[in-house]
Amino acid sequence: MAWRNIWRNKIRSIIIMLSIAVGLFAGIAVLALYKGMMKARTRTVIDSEAGHLQLHHPAFTEDYDPKFTLRNGSRILQEIRRMEGVKLAAPRSITNGMLATPGGSSGVQIMGVLPGPEYAASQLDKKLVEGKLFDDAKKNQVIIGRKLAVKMRLKPGSKLVLMFTDSSGSIVSGAFRVAGIYRSANAPLDERRVYIRMKDMNDLLATGGAFHEIVVLLNSDEDVPRIQQELQHKWKSASIQSWREISPETDLMVNTTNQLSYILMSIIMLALAFGIINTMLMAILERTREIGIMMALGTTRLRIFMLVILETWMLTFAGTPLGFLVAWFSIAHYNRQGMDLSGMGKELMSSFGYSTLIYPEFPAEKFPGLLLIVFLTALVSSLLPARKALMMQPVEALRR
Amino acid sequence: MKTVIDAHNISKVYNPETIPVYAVNHVHLHLEQGEFTALVGPSGSGKTTLLNMIGGLDKPDEGQIFIKGLDITRLSSSALINFRLHNIGFVFQSYNLIPVLTARENVEFIMQLQNLPEELRDKRVEKLFREIGLEDKMNERPSRLSGGQQQRVAVARALASKPQFVLADEPTANLDSKSAANLLDIMDRLNREENITFLFSTHDQRVIERARRVITLVDGKIASDTAAVRTDEQHPSLPG
Repeated sequence: MAWRNIWRNKIRSIIIMLSIAVGLFAGIAVLALYKGMMKARTRTVIDSEAGHLQLHHPAFTEDYDPKFTLRNGSRILQEIRRMEGVKLAAPRSITNGMLATPGGSSGVQIMGVLPGPEYAASQLDKKLVEGKLFDDAKKNQVIIGRKLAVKMRLKPGSKLVLMFTDSSGSIVSGAFRVAGIYRSANAPLDERRVYIRMKDMNDLLATGGAFHEIVVLLNSDEDVPRIQQELQHKWKSASIQSWREISPETDLMVNTTNQLSYILMSIIMLALAFGIINTMLMAILERTREIGIMMALGTTRLRIFMLVILETWMLTFAGTPLGFLVAWFSIAHYNRQGMDLSGMGKELMSSFGYSTLIYPEFPAEKFPGLLLIVFLTALVSSLLPARKALMMQPVEALRR
Repeated sequence: MKTVIDAHNISKVYNPETIPVYAVNHVHLHLEQGEFTALVGPSGSGKTTLLNMIGGLDKPDEGQIFIKGLDITRLSSSALINFRLHNIGFVFQSYNLIPVLTARENVEFIMQLQNLPEELRDKRVEKLFREIGLEDKMNERPSRLSGGQQQRVAVARALASKPQFVLADEPTANLDSKSAANLLDIMDRLNREENITFLFSTHDQRVIERARRVITLVDGKIASDTAAVRTDEQHPSLPG
C-alpha cells in the first residue's frame, strides 16, 4: 500500500525522487572530485617530492646543517635497494643556499642528485619543459623550476652562482649554467628547489661521497608502515620518516577532506530532507479523511505511523539507486578521460600543489557512510509527517 | 432478542465552559440484534455525533454506551480501535474506499487487520462480492467503479469483519435513485437473511421508507422513536 500511495501523485513523487538522485549525484561527484584531487596530491607528494620514506641523520632535518650526512649511507642505500617491496632508492645531498644572478638573488634548496636514480624518484625528466637534462660530459649544470626561472629571468644556458655553507661552516660558491627548466604541480616547490649533480655539490660541501638523504619509493602505498618499521629496526640511529611525516599538511588535508566530504553530503541531504518532509506533509494533509477512515475501520496508530514511515523511506530510497548509478557512470567516464580544471585557475591550483587535471574516483569506501546518511535523511524526514498522522483523531479527520 | 446497543443518558457538549451547545442531549437508545433502524432529523440535529459515539469514534461527555454489555466509554483509544475492528462495520457518505487498493483489497484490508488466514479471507471476500453482485469488479480500483458500486463495496467492507452491527452515515446521500434502491435492497436482504443490525443516519426518504424503526432527533434529543414505517406484512420473511 505504501508503494502505491507514493504513485498517487506521480509528478510530485518523481520530482522528489529526482531531487534525491540529483542531490546524491552532486554529493558523490564532489566526493569523487575531492578523492581524485587528494589522490593526485598524495601521488605528487610521493612520486615527485618526498617518496614513500626518507632516511636522514637525526640532526639533519632540524636545520639542514650539511655536516650531518647519513652515516654509512652507501651501505644503507645498497641494502634498502635489495629489500622486498622497495621499488627504488635514491641518494640526495641537500643544502639551503642562495642563487644569485646579475639581476638579483633568491633563497633556494639545492638538491645534489645522481641523475638516473633521481629521474626515477622525482620524475624530474618528465617535468622538464625547457632545455635539457644533465649532460654527463658537462660540469656544474643546474636544473631550476619554471617559477624561479621567470622570477630570476633565467633560461637554458644562463649563468648563475649558488652560494651556501660547507660542512665546516664556511661560505662556498660555485658558478653554474642552467641546463633545463622543470615545471611540477607544486609551484612553491618550483620556485625554491634546484637540482645539481651530487658530485658537484659534494665537492663544494667537502663531504666526499657522503649524502644527506635516501628517498625510498615502494611498490605499494600500503607497505609504508611495515617497511618504515623494518628500516627503523635495522638502522636505529637514522631518522626514518614516512611521507605523512614529511608532508603533514598533505596528510592533514586528506583527513580534513574526508571529514568535509561527510559534512557536505549531510548538508545536501538535510536540504533534501526539507523537500521530502514537505511532500509527505502534503500527502498526509490530502489524505486526512482517508487516514481517519482507516482509523475508524480499526487500523492501529502504529500501523498508520509505520505506513507513513514506509512511504517516506520508499520515496527516499527510490531515488537513491538512480543517484548512485548516474554518479558511478559519470565518475567512471571522467576517471578515464580526466577532468581539466585549468579553467578554474591553473596558477592558483598549482600554488597549492594541486594538478589541474583531476581523475575523479568513485568513493566506494564511503558507500556505507553515504547509505547511512541517506537512511538518516529518510528517518529524519519521516518522523514529522508520521507524527502528524499519529496525532490525528479519527472523528476530526472524518470531518474533513 | 439480544441487545446490541444500549446507550444510557449520553450527551455531547461543545463549548462547555462558555456557551454550552448540546450536540447530543441526554439520549437513551436501545437497539436489539437484527434491527434495521433509521436515525433521522434535520442537519445539526446530532445524528452523526450520535453515530460517532456509538461507533466509538467519539466519546460522550456524559453517559455510558454498552455494546453487547461492554461499556465502550471506558475503553482506552487503542482498545477502542481493536473493539471497532472486531465489532463495528462503518459505511460512510462518500464511500471512502482506499483509492490505491482494488475493490477486493479494500474488503480484504479489514480481514488483514484482523490477521485472518488467507484462505478464510478469500472465501469471505468472494461470498461478500457475490452478495453485493460485483464479482466481476473485484479487481477494479475504486476510480473505475460508479458511486453506487463503490458504496456496495463499502458495505462489503463493513461486513468483512463480521461485525455486531453496521453504522451507516447517510449511505445513499450521493447516489442516484437506482443505485440507492439497489444498495438498500442489498442491506435489507443482509438484514433479513443474516440478521445483521443496521443503524443509519439519513435524510433520505427512500431509506426512511425501508426502515423498520425510525428515530427522530431534534436539537440533540430524541423527538420520536417509532417502529415500522414498513409493517411486518411487507416482510413476510420476518417472524410474526
